[in-house]
Amino acid sequence: MSTLFTWTSLLPVLIILSSLIPGLLIFATPEHARTRRTLLNMTGIVIKLILVALMLAGVSQGLTFRFEIPFLPSAPLVLHGDALSLQFIALSSILWLATTIYAIGYLEGSPLRSRFFGYFSLCVSATVGLALAGNLVTFLLFYELLTLSTFPLVVHRGTPAALKAGRVYLAYTLGGGTLLMMGVALLHSLVTTPDFTAGGYVLAQIEDSSLGLQIAFILMIAGLGVKAALVPLHSWLPQAMVAPAPVSALLHAVAVVKAGAFGIIRVVYDVYGVEASTLLALTQPLLWLAAVTMIYASIRALQQQDIKRRLAFSTVSQVSYITLGVALAGPIAAVGAIVHLVHQGLMKVTLFFCAGNFAETLGIHKVQEMDGLGQRMPWTMAAFSVGALGMIGVPPVAGFISKIYLGMGALEVGQPWVVLLLAGSALLNAAYFLPLLYRGWFGKPPADGWQKDNFKNHRFETHWMLLMPALFTALLSLLVGIFAGSILSPLGWSEFIVSREFAQ
Amino acid sequence: MTYALVSLSIPLLSALVLMLAGARLSKRNAGIMAILTSLLSLVAAWFCLLDVAAANQSILLNLGGWENGLAIRLRLSPLSSLLLLFAAFMHVLIGIYAGFSRQSVSRDFWTLSCVLHGSLAALWLSADLFNLYITLELLGLTAVAMVALAGKKAYKPASNYLILSLVASLFYLLGVALVYGRYGSLDVVLLGLQTQSDTTTRIALLVMTAGLMLKAALWPLHLWLPAAHANAPTAVSALLSGLVVKGPIFILWLLWSEVAPVDLAQQIGPVLAVAGMIALVAGGLSAMRSPYLKTLVAYSTVAQLGYAMMALGLLMTWQLPQMHVALWLFVIAHGLAKATLFLAAGEMQTTLGTKRVSGLRGATQTVPVAMFAFAVAGGSLIGLPPSGGFLAKWVLLEPMLSSPQNWPWAFGVLLGTLVSAAYIFRVVAISFDRARINPPDVRPDRLGHWLALLPALMVWGMALIGEWLIEFLSGGGV
Repeated sequence: MSTLFTWTSLLPVLIILSSLIPGLLIFATPEHARTRRTLLNMTGIVIKLILVALMLAGVSQGLTFRFEIPFLPSAPLVLHGDALSLQFIALSSILWLATTIYAIGYLEGSPLRSRFFGYFSLCVSATVGLALAGNLVTFLLFYELLTLSTFPLVVHRGTPAALKAGRVYLAYTLGGGTLLMMGVALLHSLVTTPDFTAGGYVLAQIEDSSLGLQIAFILMIAGLGVKAALVPLHSWLPQAMVAPAPVSALLHAVAVVKAGAFGIIRVVYDVYGVEASTLLALTQPLLWLAAVTMIYASIRALQQQDIKRRLAFSTVSQVSYITLGVALAGPIAAVGAIVHLVHQGLMKVTLFFCAGNFAETLGIHKVQEMDGLGQRMPWTMAAFSVGALGMIGVPPVAGFISKIYLGMGALEVGQPWVVLLLAGSALLNAAYFLPLLYRGWFGKPPADGWQKDNFKNHRFETHWMLLMPALFTALLSLLVGIFAGSILSPLGWSEFIVSREFAQ
Repeated sequence: MTYALVSLSIPLLSALVLMLAGARLSKRNAGIMAILTSLLSLVAAWFCLLDVAAANQSILLNLGGWENGLAIRLRLSPLSSLLLLFAAFMHVLIGIYAGFSRQSVSRDFWTLSCVLHGSLAALWLSADLFNLYITLELLGLTAVAMVALAGKKAYKPASNYLILSLVASLFYLLGVALVYGRYGSLDVVLLGLQTQSDTTTRIALLVMTAGLMLKAALWPLHLWLPAAHANAPTAVSALLSGLVVKGPIFILWLLWSEVAPVDLAQQIGPVLAVAGMIALVAGGLSAMRSPYLKTLVAYSTVAQLGYAMMALGLLMTWQLPQMHVALWLFVIAHGLAKATLFLAAGEMQTTLGTKRVSGLRGATQTVPVAMFAFAVAGGSLIGLPPSGGFLAKWVLLEPMLSSPQNWPWAFGVLLGTLVSAAYIFRVVAISFDRARINPPDVRPDRLGHWLALLPALMVWGMALIGEWLIEFLSGGGV
């Protein structure tokens, strides 16, 4: 029992509680108590950031943070802060900050804000719990809680369209959750459920039960693939675009799709291990799946005229880069995959903030309406451009770094065709992002003025709470690219993670 | 054992007092007395559980001090102590609901609920086929009377229930007679040592099984249940779905895990398990289509009992001790979740003034606590981690997955999960409809709503004692 109460074992719990408790308190906050709600949100965020920084410092010093309580026979609930979980936690905490500020501005004056922010905090708690999960059963638990806490956000508007999207979302994610549960249970019956281990823990069983291991892998990847939006399990994502912009931003950048991608990383690296996955002939099909997703979603993105839907298909394509890097099963590609988890998050959240700003300020939803937007909203347009160029892979924005590492990783493991694929994907990215930038910067604004202008005589081009988060994340996407060489950058940290994963 | 007898006799004594006192006791006082009774019984059941946990084995008692074979035997196993506690808790909870929330009940409810409680406690403790028959009959008649409390509209379902219940009892009694004729004993433990799979035994067991399946509304003998459970008063529905159908399941389980010869059990097991699988899917599909909320919840009982039937069938087929654990975890998790579902459904019905599922538009705003309770309890029925339903499903799945030829069963569980998710979220999704809110007729009753939430939280709280529960139930579960 003594280990229960040391600060290293309690820290993971506290990190989850730092958003869970404010979330529950917000549910009980009356609708009009705006200040109290904001204060609760901000307190939670600040505490969480401090705790995460503490853990970050601890892990780089070599401390282990582990909390355990009994749950199922030989499958306890384990929270474990390792380098990989920190990558994800740091991302979600920082983006929680940006998204909360954005959401406060975005939802000003609209009904049911206490419910919204309550579920928003629960959603972050579930994401962080998922990142801290120390074994598959714990991961499964938070994976399902994430589904439950995001559903009210997706249907927040309560319109028939939102409900329809919500039903589709649930059908996919609960179906995926069931498959994941089956996979986890099957694997448990084969090798029980120990902690996630660098290099995996199934290698010893590979002779006796290769079929079982393969089926468990397929079930788990199918279950995770729903959230990671791997084709053909991606259809819920573009539909979920009816949710309010901050929700889309959170769903696409951290909470949901990343939970799936993070799960794939965990399963391949820390459950099966690269060696066993390769021996079981599992990585190659996963690679093809990621490749198909990447190209197919890019082509679909080209066809979309709605800005948010185009961004949604772009997410499908970009998140599959992570899967691709994992499936390449080499250390350099692994760095690319893990770093893209952060990079894609920063860039995509920027793009969604900007798209939300266009819609809130000028009522612009379609690509054709973007002409001359740069003159009315230069700052937002600039942030949008950083995000879009990063997605294409233009240096020095973050996306460039990920692509370089993925490409080098592909060459390292002798799969040069992946480099061609990456180049093709970059071209497609350019094809669906550059027209937006061209229209925004060089198009002519409508001659009779903007149809709707909500912040005409405002000090900034839009509400400051909408503008600042977008600028903040755009700046971060630039900085993590420029300072990629530093040890404190996501890249440096990813290399640190991979050096552990591929140690043996 | 003394505590078990206390827990059993208090409700029966109270019932007697309530009956004799009649109108001399005001309705309110009768309610308070019944609640206190359940509370005392709960405390006794708690000590009883501690006793068994300390002894770590079953405790037997021959009533009246007669020898084995002559005496009526009572047996307190870890399982029965847990079920005593469970039944008492449900009575306390539902008693408080019936007494203090807006859902008024007639005076007779209190007498009947005490009889119900007593007969259930006796059922959990009995280890004698005839004794079990008496408790079963008492349980059935009380349940019928309670359904009829709802007034005229419930007379038809109640009389159907009565007829089926009597037929079922007769079937069971016929089996008991056959067994007695063949072996000259009705003691479960003694019979377990003697039974052989000859024709008489087969017929006896099959007849008893048919009767018990009808009583427990196990598929395909479930058709009476939705009407009876949906038309009863809310508090009664919760008791019926949460507790009463579990009585016959207990007897069924005793019969097949202890009395029946192993080879016969292994023959019949797969049939029961397949029936359970069909129940899961068919019940779920009916729930998905039902236009009325309480009928949806009632069909969900039919579906969820499919899990119990599957666990029992596979227990018989494989003779694996984990399946005992799976079966009883399902029963307890389902009981708690179903109590919430019926209480929440009743509250929402009263507040929103409609019985239809479609009337729940905007329920997350108008009746937030009840709706939240409904969703939370629904999560356990689906089996989302870390709820009690998940614990049960996990235990059930492990042996299914351990060898490839058992995987089709796991597919059944997968289907069941998806169907349950479909009907639960059908309700939840409608409640988020903000475009066409159905305005409430009256202000929500806070006590009723929070009481509905309590068992839902408890069923998720089972996760905290999950490992202990599994060990407790597998350690000398019989």
